[in-house]
Amino acid sequence: MSVYITSTGAFLPGPPVAVEEVEGVLGAVHGKPSSLRVQIQKANKIQTRHYAINEHQQTTHSNTQMASNAATQCLDRAFIPREKVGMLAVATTQGDHPAPGMASMVQAELGLAELEILTAHGICSSSMMALKAAWNSLRLEEHEAALVVSSELASRLLKKQRYEAATGSTFAEKRIDFNTEFLRWMLSDGAGALLLQNKPAPKGLSLRIDWVRGFSHAHAFPTCMSVGSAGRVEDERTWQDYDTYAEAETAGALLLRQDVRLLDNILRMGVDGYLRLAQEGVSKPAEVDHFLCHYSSHHFRNKILDLLDAAGVGIPEERWWTNLYTRGNTGAASLFIMIDEFLRTDEVEIFEGQTILCFVPESGRFNTTYMQLTVVKQ
Amino acid sequence: MIEGAPNAPSDDQGPDGIDLNPNAQACLQQLLRVWLGFERDLSTVPMLRRIDLGTYTVEDHQCLLRNLRQQVIEGSRWITRAASSFDRNHAEIRSTIISHAVDEHRDYELLEKDYVASGGRLEDILAMGRNIGSEALHGYLMHRSSRPNPIDLLGAMWIIEGLGEKMARSWAERIQELTGLTEDATRFMAYHGHNDGDHMLRFYAMLDEVCIDEKASASIVKTSKVVARLYRLQLEEVEHGLE
Repeated sequence: MSVYITSTGAFLPGPPVAVEEVEGVLGAVHGKPSSLRVQIQKANKIQTRHYAINEHQQTTHSNTQMASNAATQCLDRAFIPREKVGMLAVATTQGDHPAPGMASMVQAELGLAELEILTAHGICSSSMMALKAAWNSLRLEEHEAALVVSSELASRLLKKQRYEAATGSTFAEKRIDFNTEFLRWMLSDGAGALLLQNKPAPKGLSLRIDWVRGFSHAHAFPTCMSVGSAGRVEDERTWQDYDTYAEAETAGALLLRQDVRLLDNILRMGVDGYLRLAQEGVSKPAEVDHFLCHYSSHHFRNKILDLLDAAGVGIPEERWWTNLYTRGNTGAASLFIMIDEFLRTDEVEIFEGQTILCFVPESGRFNTTYMQLTVVKQ
Repeated sequence: MIEGAPNAPSDDQGPDGIDLNPNAQACLQQLLRVWLGFERDLSTVPMLRRIDLGTYTVEDHQCLLRNLRQQVIEGSRWITRAASSFDRNHAEIRSTIISHAVDEHRDYELLEKDYVASGGRLEDILAMGRNIGSEALHGYLMHRSSRPNPIDLLGAMWIIEGLGEKMARSWAERIQELTGLTEDATRFMAYHGHNDGDHMLRFYAMLDEVCIDEKASASIVKTSKVVARLYRLQLEEVEHGLE
């Protein structure tokens, strides 16, 4: 049973925010401009991004609303009625509620009755996990159609008040705490949605899902990107182990962190996974027409290019396409937002029979995920 | 760049690039995966994890150097043994290996100086025997290098050279930062980065010369896997006493 992506949708909250306006939205911590912002923004080369908070750091859209908006656009563009959707799979790093799962909330917001739901919790690669579960569900012929949504509201973690409250954290102690500030200038908000069906759309192009594969290396590496601990080796507590949530926040256990020194490992494992797929004959680099690679920053683009070339499985740069630079790094939502715009952009020509390779690495604890799509026409 | 493979070939490489035969190219891709897996698994070795986590101490460094010394001493022995096992049809590779051995056969002296600079007593490092992993690694390498024309040892060089470069790239400075030790205590690690470019070029030339069929490729890859596993065993054993 072949499964096809027959419709897509995306939602980016608010107006595009330019590089120099970013700190105005997230807020300057204790009123002082960041000394790292320019350096990090120069490296990631993201020109505009979107936030679901305003310049007073008040939430303008919940994560559920963003997911629902992207899903609505996707369903409005579909050739089937909503009632045909038998499964809703939702991926996010952090839903609006710690419980229940985000899929319940998105289902309610969309008013979709009595369908099967799944919440995939992770970071960037959770989108691929949700997609794979939905794909398999259709392959097992349990449903005719499944809606997969990924949504990310990172800015609530990145607003100045979070850092100001963390008075006992490494961020407060150190003059410059690169690991705690790094993601502040990288991540932003948005949502994407894909409709999966057991047949191609009657008009236009559909994308057949050929395979989805993932390789996680959490057994070997320390955690690299996380929320929930104070970022001190000697302190093994996670946020709920503190007597009060207030104490956890003071200690910095609710700040988003990236161990920047470990980051190269995700690129190397990404290349290892692709070499594995190439050696197994699952993917043929020469036959990839379009490469949609979720990289978090321009800085990593060249590294991935060099690594793939060094391994003899390079994909020429002209076949790469991304909207990172205008839509921002929206974590779990990135791939779907990318696919949605890729199908509509004039920048590339897309033909029946072409092969699209998607790659979503997740630095959280080193998960690498890959997907191949083929462009089809009914 | 992937250490150990800074000049691996690709189709769009210029005329200066190295043109590997198809068997050597396929072998190199497999070696690359062996390397990446080896490097990943090193992150699970307790002492090396402390470098990642930032809890590595001066005592750890001394312990690591004490354990590495035997491997370095034995390294020059198996490599010269390997050179003598190549017949005249392999004169080119024999020359390369001999000159490589000349480059490195007294590296352990550097390591001893590092040990003293990090506060260790010379007599302690001189008295240190091979740990369990070093025994296994050395035994295996001497066995393979005693066989006629042991081309599979390219797989061993791939791992050991790659680790040399990794030490230079990601251990030396980090160790100084964590322990407050100076360059004097990490010269052995840092030194391996300098020669690496040359060594890898020679490596590719050798691979192209000897990796001419699937059988050769398979033997090289297998030896690289065994060496990767035994090398990790050696590093896992550094904290275990020899008694």
